[in-house]
Amino acid sequence: MKVTRRTFVKGSAAVGGTLVASRFLPSGFQTLLKTEAAPAAAPQEEWVPTTCWIGKQDCGILARRINGRVVKLEGHPGNPLNVGTLCPKGVAQIMAIYDPHRVRTPLIRTNAKGVSGQWRRASWDEALTLVAGKIKEVRAKDPKLLVWQKGRSKGKAFYDEAFVKASGATKLHHGAFCSDAGYRASEYTIGMSGVLHPDFRHVRYLLAWGWNITNAGGNQLCWITWPQQLSAARERGLKVVAIDPRLRGAGPFTDDWIPIRPGTDLAFALALCHRLIAQNTIDREYLRRYTNAPFLVQADGTFLRIDGKEQVWDEQRGVARPYDAVAVRPALEGTFTVSGAPVRPAFQAFKDHVSPYTPEWAAQVCGIPADAITRVARELGEEARIGSTTVIDGVTLPYRPVAIMAYHMAQQELGFQAVRAMLTVMMLLGAVGAVGGQRIDVGGWAIHENFEKLDRIKITDPPYNIYLKDSPYFPINSNNSSLVARVMLNPDKYGVQDRPEMLIVHMANPMVSFASQPDLIESYKKFPFVVVIDPWLSETADFFADVVLPAATIEKYEGPSKASDQYLDGVALRVPPMQPLFQSRGDIDIYLDLCEKAGLLYGRGGYLDHLNAALKLKAPHRLPLDRKPTVREIFDRWAKSEGIAEGVAYFEKHGVKVKGPIPAAKAYGYAADPPFGGVRHRFYGEALLRYQAEMRARGAAEIYWRDYTPFPTWRAPTMTASPAEYDLYLITYKMIEFKQSRSSFIPLLNELAPRQRLDINPRTARERGIADGEEVWVESHHALTGETRKVRVRAHYTQAIRPDTVGLPHHYGLWSHPGAKGQGPTANALLFTGEGYVANTADQSFHVKVRVFKA
Amino acid sequence: MAMRVEPLPYRVGQISTGTLLLIVVLLGVVAQGLYAFSRQLTEGLVVTGMRDIGTMGGPAWGLYIAFDIYFVGVSFAGITTAALVRLLNLHALRAVSRLAEVLTIIALILAAFSVLPDLGQPLRGVVHLLKYARPQSPFFGTFTMVIAGYLFASLVYFFLDGRRDAAICAARAGRLQWFYRLWAAGYRDTPAERERHRRVGFWLSLAILPMLVIAHSTLGFVFGLQVGRPGWFSALQAPAFVIMAGVSGVGLLIIIAAIVRTTLEAQDRLTPEVFRWLANFLMVLTAAYIYFMLVDWLTATYAAPLHESRVTSALLFGPYARIYWPSVAALVAAFYLLLRQFLTGRYSIAVTVLCGALVNVAAVGKRLLIVVPSQTHGAMLPYPSGTYTPTWVEYSIIGGLIALGTLLYIVFTKVFPVIELPEARQEMGHR
Amino acid sequence: MARYAMVIDLDRCTGCRACMEACKVENNTPRANFWMYVFRFEEGEYPNTRVWFMPRPCMHCDNAPCVKVCPVGARYKRPDGLVATDFDRCIGCRYCEVACPYGVNYFNWKRPERNQYLDWTDAEAAAVLAPYTNGAVPPYKNPDLERAYGPERRRIAGGGHLKGVIEKCTFCVHRVERGLQPACVANCPLFALHFGDLDDPHSQVSQLLRRRSHFRLLEEASTEPRVYYLGGKPPGSDTRQIETIRARA
Repeated sequence: MKVTRRTFVKGSAAVGGTLVASRFLPSGFQTLLKTEAAPAAAPQEEWVPTTCWIGKQDCGILARRINGRVVKLEGHPGNPLNVGTLCPKGVAQIMAIYDPHRVRTPLIRTNAKGVSGQWRRASWDEALTLVAGKIKEVRAKDPKLLVWQKGRSKGKAFYDEAFVKASGATKLHHGAFCSDAGYRASEYTIGMSGVLHPDFRHVRYLLAWGWNITNAGGNQLCWITWPQQLSAARERGLKVVAIDPRLRGAGPFTDDWIPIRPGTDLAFALALCHRLIAQNTIDREYLRRYTNAPFLVQADGTFLRIDGKEQVWDEQRGVARPYDAVAVRPALEGTFTVSGAPVRPAFQAFKDHVSPYTPEWAAQVCGIPADAITRVARELGEEARIGSTTVIDGVTLPYRPVAIMAYHMAQQELGFQAVRAMLTVMMLLGAVGAVGGQRIDVGGWAIHENFEKLDRIKITDPPYNIYLKDSPYFPINSNNSSLVARVMLNPDKYGVQDRPEMLIVHMANPMVSFASQPDLIESYKKFPFVVVIDPWLSETADFFADVVLPAATIEKYEGPSKASDQYLDGVALRVPPMQPLFQSRGDIDIYLDLCEKAGLLYGRGGYLDHLNAALKLKAPHRLPLDRKPTVREIFDRWAKSEGIAEGVAYFEKHGVKVKGPIPAAKAYGYAADPPFGGVRHRFYGEALLRYQAEMRARGAAEIYWRDYTPFPTWRAPTMTASPAEYDLYLITYKMIEFKQSRSSFIPLLNELAPRQRLDINPRTARERGIADGEEVWVESHHALTGETRKVRVRAHYTQAIRPDTVGLPHHYGLWSHPGAKGQGPTANALLFTGEGYVANTADQSFHVKVRVFKA
Repeated sequence: MAMRVEPLPYRVGQISTGTLLLIVVLLGVVAQGLYAFSRQLTEGLVVTGMRDIGTMGGPAWGLYIAFDIYFVGVSFAGITTAALVRLLNLHALRAVSRLAEVLTIIALILAAFSVLPDLGQPLRGVVHLLKYARPQSPFFGTFTMVIAGYLFASLVYFFLDGRRDAAICAARAGRLQWFYRLWAAGYRDTPAERERHRRVGFWLSLAILPMLVIAHSTLGFVFGLQVGRPGWFSALQAPAFVIMAGVSGVGLLIIIAAIVRTTLEAQDRLTPEVFRWLANFLMVLTAAYIYFMLVDWLTATYAAPLHESRVTSALLFGPYARIYWPSVAALVAAFYLLLRQFLTGRYSIAVTVLCGALVNVAAVGKRLLIVVPSQTHGAMLPYPSGTYTPTWVEYSIIGGLIALGTLLYIVFTKVFPVIELPEARQEMGHR
Repeated sequence: MARYAMVIDLDRCTGCRACMEACKVENNTPRANFWMYVFRFEEGEYPNTRVWFMPRPCMHCDNAPCVKVCPVGARYKRPDGLVATDFDRCIGCRYCEVACPYGVNYFNWKRPERNQYLDWTDAEAAAVLAPYTNGAVPPYKNPDLERAYGPERRRIAGGGHLKGVIEKCTFCVHRVERGLQPACVANCPLFALHFGDLDDPHSQVSQLLRRRSHFRLLEEASTEPRVYYLGGKPPGSDTRQIETIRARA
């Protein structure tokens, strides 16, 4: 551009005038001036690929960076998980990065524990030296006395595996609050690690069973991926039945709402089984070939074994033969006599077992019309198209376009057996692993080690560890931190001897986010030394930490994380879009230094050695065991070891490596070689009966062993024994606005939902004289001990909830962040843990009977 | 100078201790208003009770706009009365005509001022409203027609009407002699001059009356043309605004006349006859307004669309009922009292003043109810209904404006005869 | 000249409000100003309850009441259909706001530095972050918002959310002029929002409107909105808002 003298003078006069004016005029006058000034230099704009940090599935992100400052996080279009989009939390976490209330330096406690903390700022060297010294001291006594607790793990190889193994720590995690009852049920029954989700590309009839479509995740993945697939499926004609006491979570994505009474899912599933058998919509072929349904069961409930081999009744020959005998035609029904003793196929036993579970019976239990159950069973039977096939990837596969999506509903007292019953429904229909049918693990068909492990649990003699592993109380054990709290408060009762000496809490906030808050608060006082690794001063840190180590949020290398939506496979890496703010550091950096100082880093059995294994690094990319690498170098070696020649630079440039479509052979159990990984699905849970016998033999009370039954068996949940005045069921749920209890202080998010609220049907509320928005007390009752707990909260009218049920979201109840004060209580303050409120797998129940009255 | 200083009529130039005290109090109230305005300038309109329509539920317009239309409404009385006096040759009312003109001018000044605190950028308001004026906006009418045209015409009329008295006052020595001379501008009250004045005054009155209807209608259009605000969109808005303006203006004029009558001892001029005229005038206007109200009611309750009926029910039974019903009651009571006077022929100044006060209370209430409920309860999408509670800032600024108006009025009465000087005095002045 | 429009598929919306957040971060809107708002609705009584969601951007009406009433021409209709607000000219009278039947206008009631979620006049917060943000308020301040757009070269992208001026959804004019989708559209996790040129018969919006039945909000007000809804129906007398955001400036 040619600049004439005249335009130059004009331009400088304008700029000068503006400058002078803005200097001397009061601010009001400034607004009269147009102040568009071309920036001195065009800002440097960059897009840095990374991954989301706030949620569970680490969606792909492109961070927009202007002159080194991140101004926006957008979805990464190439990541199969989120395809260029982000949930509200993902977008708003930018405010979390810049939160001035993050922990800015390592902190060392200066006051007594159990009350709000006072701190002095420390250098990293001082803090790490202190922590490492303590680790050494504790490990010298017994490494198991070091307890490592995680909430959300973003780099499993680095923390859960390498650190835990290198240090020998006892590991606690969040699973028992998430959906681990469902994981255990699926691992034990089908051999797949996960809960339940459909083959969305082909499913036509879906039971959204407690699936909070519009607000929460779903099986294994976060919220974005599943609703995207659901919406696409609906546009192809998918029918959705929502089985949920609260419709709100299913939103408009439901054709049929069955408002089931909380905690009665097992009864509903059993009645469906009853109807499916009565309708004769059963995939007998599948049951015969791929399950233990034809195995002959003896009167004592064990399988008939000859030479150690389970037997079936050959219909053609009329004799019992080994299940894998050539050309055997196993009977599913009938009662037979082998060696003078009566036997019947497991399927027949099941048929007998479910005969009392009629729709009319279940209607009473579940608080819904019997018609609804009959209707769903009929539609399931019709839509399953038993016997039909379709061609995928050139392979002809059974086509059963019916499935269940269930995840967090697994967390109820009968959760393990309820999920087993739901799997049984799908097994009867032959939908497991079929096209359009039931899936469990988004990763594809791979048999989890727990399929065998859970079948062969050796219940041992005391002492037990703090989460009662291999005890006669919870042989199948999901490691429940709330239960740990009960154990810590009364170790002798459970045969526990070792008292932990040190606790490292990594990205968890058990004080608020785990059920039964009073128990947790009491028990954490028992940990002599507590270290918290967290970007924020969590409530756990506030009350109990001796040392707080500030972790970075998104601004660090971390991963690798799976980027598969069950159809496309990929892997992603978190790349720092800017330097860690304040003195915070990436978590992996913290562990590297901590291990070095604690003498755990180098050599065989050290952190680096375990890291080589955990990251599956292949030579020549394995980490040398005598030198501390940078985090970037570790990922560089990992990427190269994975066959990505550019190393970590590939991820710094692209963020995600899409490996390509998941082949049918991996996605469908039927297409796997051998089908279903060569296992027989456990229609009949013989081992469960075995555990029951051993638990009884060891004198465990009925409350522990009563749900160890080979078939899911209904009983009324413990909470129903609360007195009649506790006339409402409390359910808890997630909101799309928040992630766990670690986001309600983000102002962009809490603006959307600033306060805790109790969902209540207007009819119920009016009966109690409660107006919309009015403050109420919610008082929970422990049916066994009579203990009551209460919180004060505002009522929120909704016609989308059962009148006998009230709902509280999680996410609230924080007190240490100024942005989260006064938001109201956590639902966890009302819930109980321990016997009666955990499943037989030690999983936490999120149900309790309450009464609600005007405050 | 040996000239004897003769006191001016109607206590012009005399300031008693009581007046002084009142002036000090009023100045205090004005100062408080200015302080409130400065808070608003620094922090923004967040210090008011107004908020956004929709998600915030609040009214975007509140007390400032309500009083803006109240002030404009009050201005009605003055110029109408003066013009009617002139056009219909109502000698009985000559004595209140200047009282009324001053009221008009001060009310219009207050109206102009009360827009300023409502603007987010008052400075820009002053500049941009001129610089970028858009005649298509009903606001343009408010500013040009009402504030500029109407005020200008009133000032001209006021100036001409006062020239004779100015000339009389200018004949006397005093500190304000220059001011009277300036106003008189060479007027010497010759018959030719008188005739010329009479003619100009007549035509000006004739011109002002339609202007006045247009001006008050324009203000009605600010609301009545808004299809997006249930409760506003109505052809009735414009005429109702004209009538309500008359009700409040005449009502206030009655009050002022009564005060002047007592404080300035003008019983000889502001006779019961004057009040009788004003009372009857007010009665007719009140009747007309009540008629409009009834028509409005019927329309809004008989077969109103959903959103209209929501606003109506908020008015009649909802949070605004406690303003609505007292306002209606005040109007009806005033009408009843006025009608009784008319029918019995027994007029009382006290009762008439009471009626003036009642209709003004009702006028303020009704203004607020025109402005606010359609915003807080008139959302056409399912937003939650809102609330409006004015803050101390708004009360202070409105209080400051009223105090300013009162102050200006008092100051005027101290510098100029607020009642047209009688013929007799006029002769004296010529000697 | 393009003729821009937004098409919102109600059959896809999960009411997650991610569009609201994307808008907020992109446009740096102050607390309680929702250029994009998502209604969550409930209809009927238990157990015949219906739950649905409705995003509400500015409708960018062809016959925009706000444009008509603006006394200074700060609110104007661009040839491409965008209804723009010139924040250099606005006097803050809020007439556009009272004229709008959709409630999409937001006024800057507060000083921006006190209204960006935290009080950035708080010396400590500012000092703590200064090394990383260079004093930007909010820390994620988008430099594009201050510039002039369109052939008319007017500043209509929101800018610094100047105290005392009105603002509303701009259809992300600063993105659209660079060929990008508005932030809400680009981010919608369910792909429920579409944006494009009605004059282009091959654009996604044109195709969707040809293929599927649609409605616009408050057609009876003859505002001729440029935002079309697919699926569902407009909110009626039985429609109740739930989980209402009651944020106030």
